[in-house]
Amino acid sequence: MFLILLRRELLANLMTFRFLVAMVVTLLLVVANTVVLIADYERRLISYNTAAQQHREKVSNAKVYCELDGTLFVDRPPNPLSIFNAGLDRRLGNSITVRHTLVPTLWDTHSHSADNPFLNLFSSVDLVLIFQVILSLLALLFAHDAIAGEREAGTLRLTMTNPVSRPVILLAKYISAMACLILPLVMSLLLALILFSVSGSIALGGDGWLRICGILLTSIIYLSVFYLIGLLISALTRRTATALMLSMVIWSTLVLIYPSLIVFGVNRLWQTPSQLEASYGEIEQIWEGFERERTNFLKNDEVEGENANFNVKGSGSSGTGYNSNSATLRYFKAEFRNWTSINEASEPQLIHVKAFFQFLEPLRIDTADKTGLVRQQALDQVYVHKANFAKNLMRLSPVSMYDLATEAWAGTGFHSIEDFIISVQQYRQTVINYFHDKAAFSSRQWFASDQGEVDWSDLPQFSYHRADVSTDVKHATGDIACLLLINVVLFMMTVLIFVRQEV
Amino acid sequence: MQPQPTDGAGYEKERPYQDTPDRTARKIKRMIWHIIKRELYDHLNSLRFAFTTVLLIILMLINAVGYLDEYKTQSTAYQKKVLASLDKMRSQTDNLYNLLITGPGNLYKKPFSLSFCASSGEGFIPESAEGGRAGWSIGFNGFSAKGLWRMKYPQSNPNLWDIMPDYRNVDWADIISIVLSLIAILFTFDTISSEQERGTLRLTFSNSISRGTVLVSKFLAALITISIPFLIAALINLFLLYSSGSTPLGPSEWGRLGVIVLIAFVYVSIFLALGLLISSYMSHSSTSLTILLLIWVVWIALLPSTLGALTSGLQPTMTGDELNARRENLRQNLDEQYENRWSKTASRDIPATEGTLLWSKYLTEDAKRNEELNEEHLNTQIAQIQLARSITRISPASSVRYAIESLAGTGFSRHVQFLAHVRRYAGEFSTFLIETDRADPESPHALGPKEGTSQKPVSFESIPKFEDRISFSGAYTAAATDILLLLLFFVVLFAGAFLSFLRVDV
Repeated sequence: MFLILLRRELLANLMTFRFLVAMVVTLLLVVANTVVLIADYERRLISYNTAAQQHREKVSNAKVYCELDGTLFVDRPPNPLSIFNAGLDRRLGNSITVRHTLVPTLWDTHSHSADNPFLNLFSSVDLVLIFQVILSLLALLFAHDAIAGEREAGTLRLTMTNPVSRPVILLAKYISAMACLILPLVMSLLLALILFSVSGSIALGGDGWLRICGILLTSIIYLSVFYLIGLLISALTRRTATALMLSMVIWSTLVLIYPSLIVFGVNRLWQTPSQLEASYGEIEQIWEGFERERTNFLKNDEVEGENANFNVKGSGSSGTGYNSNSATLRYFKAEFRNWTSINEASEPQLIHVKAFFQFLEPLRIDTADKTGLVRQQALDQVYVHKANFAKNLMRLSPVSMYDLATEAWAGTGFHSIEDFIISVQQYRQTVINYFHDKAAFSSRQWFASDQGEVDWSDLPQFSYHRADVSTDVKHATGDIACLLLINVVLFMMTVLIFVRQEV
Repeated sequence: MQPQPTDGAGYEKERPYQDTPDRTARKIKRMIWHIIKRELYDHLNSLRFAFTTVLLIILMLINAVGYLDEYKTQSTAYQKKVLASLDKMRSQTDNLYNLLITGPGNLYKKPFSLSFCASSGEGFIPESAEGGRAGWSIGFNGFSAKGLWRMKYPQSNPNLWDIMPDYRNVDWADIISIVLSLIAILFTFDTISSEQERGTLRLTFSNSISRGTVLVSKFLAALITISIPFLIAALINLFLLYSSGSTPLGPSEWGRLGVIVLIAFVYVSIFLALGLLISSYMSHSSTSLTILLLIWVVWIALLPSTLGALTSGLQPTMTGDELNARRENLRQNLDEQYENRWSKTASRDIPATEGTLLWSKYLTEDAKRNEELNEEHLNTQIAQIQLARSITRISPASSVRYAIESLAGTGFSRHVQFLAHVRRYAGEFSTFLIETDRADPESPHALGPKEGTSQKPVSFESIPKFEDRISFSGAYTAAATDILLLLLFFVVLFAGAFLSFLRVDV
């Protein structure tokens, strides 16, 4: 009996005009957008490769050790899975300077892509967005007349004359409708994958397949939520027209209005805490402390006066790097010196210069680390908390849960960008260790290239590996669990209501 | 002159024929009013009307609260920046040469009090242009020269560090383009098919009434039903903004708001016509709604973005690498062309010596050609966006957004106008420098090197100041194309609905 019901429902759904139209529309949109997104990904990949190449070559421009500060850049490669859910991958800065004078954060990134900035006026449509909008609509359209429609037509009573329990009828409806919803989903994914393999520029790897499966699974759970919402409405209402209206109201609220409303509201009404100013003051103070130490050292050393050139005669260039931004708490001071030739007479003075930098640079690193801690805390408080607050409010809509979960699967969410920043911070530490190993701070090559330029061949290279699926899944589990819970609750409610109803 | 009928009897005979159209018109009017009343009564009592009213009022309230202090904050920030820029200019007035090097400084786009109507794109559009230093100087044998000022256009991407999730601003343009169109569909999807299902359409036709009249009155009834909650919500929104005092609305702003509301009506009419068209084609209202919703999702929600991204590939822009290469090329060309400048220096002799003239020519040329390159770069970007915009107009959601943006003084077309103002001003500023220099008898009149330029202080008041204007004619002209397109969509769809309604079997 169950199988007969299942087959009937399946045919009833598949043979409808709306299924055909929705299927065609979804597939067309998926193909069109995949082509656009692949082209966009390829452009970003080329841009990344060029930038990474240039940045590698740029290091060799540094003649002395201290010149590395400001010539060492690392880049974030584009994520191929951003085609599924762009997340923050496209938008946030993807190039960053590694300096020993500053602990890098997300707010120090800049963009290496040379795209037209006005293009951001057209928001990007990724595959998850298409599923999110169109397939959820289709799920509601399938569901709204599943019970109300049969009741109106009188066929429900006919079914009930058979020895079949009501939950089984619901289950048959559910399974067959889900099969019809999964069909366009899987076909879209297959089409997208075919386009991937045709383009040839996208290397997914074994990891990538797992992630795509995760996205597929999450999509199914998401569609099931919407089907069950529709089924519940259908069980509650007497007429299909009312069921349809209610479904549309709920759909437009959950999918279109609510998420935007939350981010808009949080953006407009969130008061930026005064913490930024206080922290900026603190950072300035720490750097002032550093300046004091520096002056003290110059005062107390064996050379007269506070001259940081130590009366060395020769030719070359020198400069100071200074940068501050009170909105992102960026603040650093760097010192740069490169003597290309030094007079014989000044040779004995060099010992003072060496002592100076040997004292100063570790202190500078220490200062940068200290301010980095203050800064990280303040930025977390101000910007990250705001974004998290908005995300948590948005989670009241299953649409946002789906979005955030697929973002985690694709590795394009905030956590993945954060991982990149952490690996850049680790790389900075590696570079500092390299300086220590080479005894660079106390060496002549820190400030003078007259006896040969620095050989950068053994400078450790930056390498960035995306987090494993297992780490990314951790960020998705909460949302997926919530979606599953909503599924169970909705199904239970529908069964309870349907069982008690008169037909 | 046409010969008048001389036959009195013939004239009398024709009288009843002259009267008939008049009487019919009155009859039709009565009939239309009758159907409208019936439809209105149906609509106003429906669940969807309640839903529409609540939704529109909530959205408009949120918009008002979100933008309550927006204009005040924006204009305070704008004035602060303009003052800072003018102060910087004032500090350079002790010498005309200084002005020639530093230029007019940052030029800012003026905020407009109607930004609550359309501000989604504002985050992606720079708010200023810069007429500033070249940033290079050369010196030899005691002679030194600096590059002259030129226009630069910042390539800022203000949301580079924005970690908030993607979202749409809740502004009027979004409320109209997304929510009102959906509402229009929800009000019309069953107008004809449900009457067909119930058989009431046959009853209506049994009266002596043409099908066109029925269609027009159904259309008008739906339009009135939607406009009531929309106008109420809009008035609440405007009342809040106006009474808070931070958003001044003068007569011209009210005029613009009126046009925006009219555009909203035209836009709603498009979807009412679409709803009537599909509704009269489909025999079941549920199929009709399915088709309408899918059309709506594709046409309104997804197509504008997809098309924008698709067409941007058609017209490539100058990439950053290309720009750098062109700039380097330009530098080398100038170097070759003015190679003999290294053997000459400028002096204060009057009339200007050969060396002074040569340096003047070189520096002017350098500034001019670099500025041209900057503008070319900007123009390729603008052309790419213009092309994408004209293609996205296939979706009326884009047209309506662009029209509202033009009227609200925000968005891309406003930015293009701003850039035009900036260019005109840059010309005025250069002319001012040349004329002031000409008025100084102690100058050799060879602008460029310090020696060839007037060294006299300049009165700050006499320097032309940049003032960004929001021109009326510009706004309406920019919006006209979009409004015409919307009207065209409406006419086509309504004609379609009319034709298909004539063929409906009852």
